[in-house]
Amino acid sequence: MNYFVGIDIGSTAIKITVTDEHKRLVGFKINASGSMFYKYAKETLQSLLDELHISQDDIAYTVATGYGRKLFKEADENISEITANAIGAQEAAREYGEIKTIINIGGQDSKAISLDSEGNVVNFAMNDRCAAGTGKFLDVVAMNLEIGVDELSDYHFKSTGTPLSISSTCAVFAESEIIGLLGSNHSVEDIVSGVHYSIAKRIVKLVKRVGIKENVYFDGGPALNAGLVHAIENELGKKIFVPEYPQITTSFGAAVLACDAFKNMPEVEREF
Amino acid sequence: MNNINHNIESPKEKQNRHKAMEAIKLLNTLREDFKAPISSMEYFYDLFERVHCKHESLHDDKTKIGTMCIQIPSEIIYALDGVPIRLCNGFYTDDEIGSDLMPQKACPLIKATVGHFASGNFTDKPDIVFSPTTCDQKTKAGVTIESFGYKLIDIDFPRTKESEASREYWRRSVKQFAVELSRFQGKKLTRTSLKNAIKKIGYAQSLYHKLSEFRKNELVPILGLDVFLVTNAFFFDKIDNWIEATEKLLSELEIRAKEKITVSGKASPRIVYTGSPPIFPNYKIPLIVEQSDAIIVADETCSSNRMFNDMVAVDEWNIYDMMDSISDKYLKACTCPIFTKNEDRIRRVIQLVRAYKADGVVYQAFAGCTVYEMEQRSVLEAMEKEGIPIIYLESDYSPSQGGQLSTRVEAFIESLKNRRRMKK
Repeated sequence: MNYFVGIDIGSTAIKITVTDEHKRLVGFKINASGSMFYKYAKETLQSLLDELHISQDDIAYTVATGYGRKLFKEADENISEITANAIGAQEAAREYGEIKTIINIGGQDSKAISLDSEGNVVNFAMNDRCAAGTGKFLDVVAMNLEIGVDELSDYHFKSTGTPLSISSTCAVFAESEIIGLLGSNHSVEDIVSGVHYSIAKRIVKLVKRVGIKENVYFDGGPALNAGLVHAIENELGKKIFVPEYPQITTSFGAAVLACDAFKNMPEVEREF
Repeated sequence: MNNINHNIESPKEKQNRHKAMEAIKLLNTLREDFKAPISSMEYFYDLFERVHCKHESLHDDKTKIGTMCIQIPSEIIYALDGVPIRLCNGFYTDDEIGSDLMPQKACPLIKATVGHFASGNFTDKPDIVFSPTTCDQKTKAGVTIESFGYKLIDIDFPRTKESEASREYWRRSVKQFAVELSRFQGKKLTRTSLKNAIKKIGYAQSLYHKLSEFRKNELVPILGLDVFLVTNAFFFDKIDNWIEATEKLLSELEIRAKEKITVSGKASPRIVYTGSPPIFPNYKIPLIVEQSDAIIVADETCSSNRMFNDMVAVDEWNIYDMMDSISDKYLKACTCPIFTKNEDRIRRVIQLVRAYKADGVVYQAFAGCTVYEMEQRSVLEAMEKEGIPIIYLESDYSPSQGGQLSTRVEAFIESLKNRRRMKK
């Protein structure tokens, strides 16, 4: 049996996905990237293979993506995370419908990708200057409010007032803004929903740059936060599709690409 | 404290060391990281190494005329026995020095140019500087530069080019420039010397045009990066040496074209590069482009194509006619975004895409280079109308930032490859 591996070495987390020949998800694993991208990526891959009882020899093709993609020299190919994300989203949403727009919020950047009817990337916009409005920002906010990142969603839906306006989505400045809001006796719930809306506004601006076409797909770790999904849907005025495992769309895309690349390889080369 | 024995570098030593590091890093990348290197490029690699790493002067015997933009006519400088040295600067080390003297959000090119003057680290120090009033920041930078003790003369440049009035205005400025320079040099501008200078620069331009022809080939024999180096060398090199080296390069390219030797990959997308000028050693974006399996086949920038594209067209070889023709070349043909309207630039980019069969356009603006940042809108709209894929990137001289930029460039190039596949 041939297996295919997609490795997404992101700024915050390493995501590894294994698929079979039919591009079906076999398993995945997520680990912190930490300070040693390459070492952790190798360890994560090995432990995933052990869990799945797959030997290295059964891996037919590996594609690396993400910021650290070039560090993973064992990969057969490497590809930018934008292309991988597009491929992963289409495959993951195959039963839901045709994806035309992708929103991705990662650890240190956010992207909007627009696809044509063949699924090619036609345009994309990226916020890559700082951690404004990204996963890292949510981490900082949760820490300031002394709650867990996974609790943000609950707090969001408990908010009863108007969402507060947080003008800065910069992780550093927002901290002092949040302290200011706490100082004027606002509830944690209202602050959380305010934070979600400020991120949503920012991301919608980014999406408008590439054009909003349905269906809209949302992935990346922060897509696990239903409160944030709610805020983005409200700002966008449209339903968005969130896959079952939003963190692994890009690594899944890399694995799908690995399947395709392997199939397109001449028979002779496959032997090696 | 005195028992710790270590040397403290002077600021000048430190700056020179940092600049040499910037230069050699790029030169070594160009020498080693790409397939099928061209042996006659070694002259240019070596030239930059001599000037920036070994601090060799090239023009000890001549008066050095510093220019702050391409609009100062080199023809007149050569005719008056001077050497034009274009001072537009690409060093991050100088950008950092200039940051203390300019507003935070200013353009890195101008910060680096001002920083270079502030440091005074010249291998060929300009004896006089001419500064055309082109963009706001360059115009204002003149005062700062003068304050360091340099002799600097402003040359009035109009910001519109359609009207007959602006043409007249600029012709007057060019005459004024000739008068100032002739006074400074203590020499008279003669018909013969000006004609010879026009012919010589025209010949250098014709070499550039020949070089460009090779880039139209399906199998491109030369990297865009190498071409940028050749054109950037024209900023300061001895013109006769430059001509000789470029002739050699052309004969090597001739052979490569015959033998079908190429620097690009099988499916490398062809790129037209436009926007803020890549100036040695700030080749950040072109480097990312060509390291991501794409090939730059043409450019529309003032550090390269715009210097060579248009020739001085003389009707009668008398001095008045020559002067007017020179003026027109530097105004009418210029596609700099400082002008109010700039349909010419859009036309040129489209024409380059067609002529060089490019798959897409990379538009790069320096953060702080307001005019290029603003013109992005109209250029992007025009390209969309023409169905030409384009990516807009903002960057500066800092050596970091590479990861994010390369992700975007690579994704763009992957999408161009995809488009090609779909077409087939």
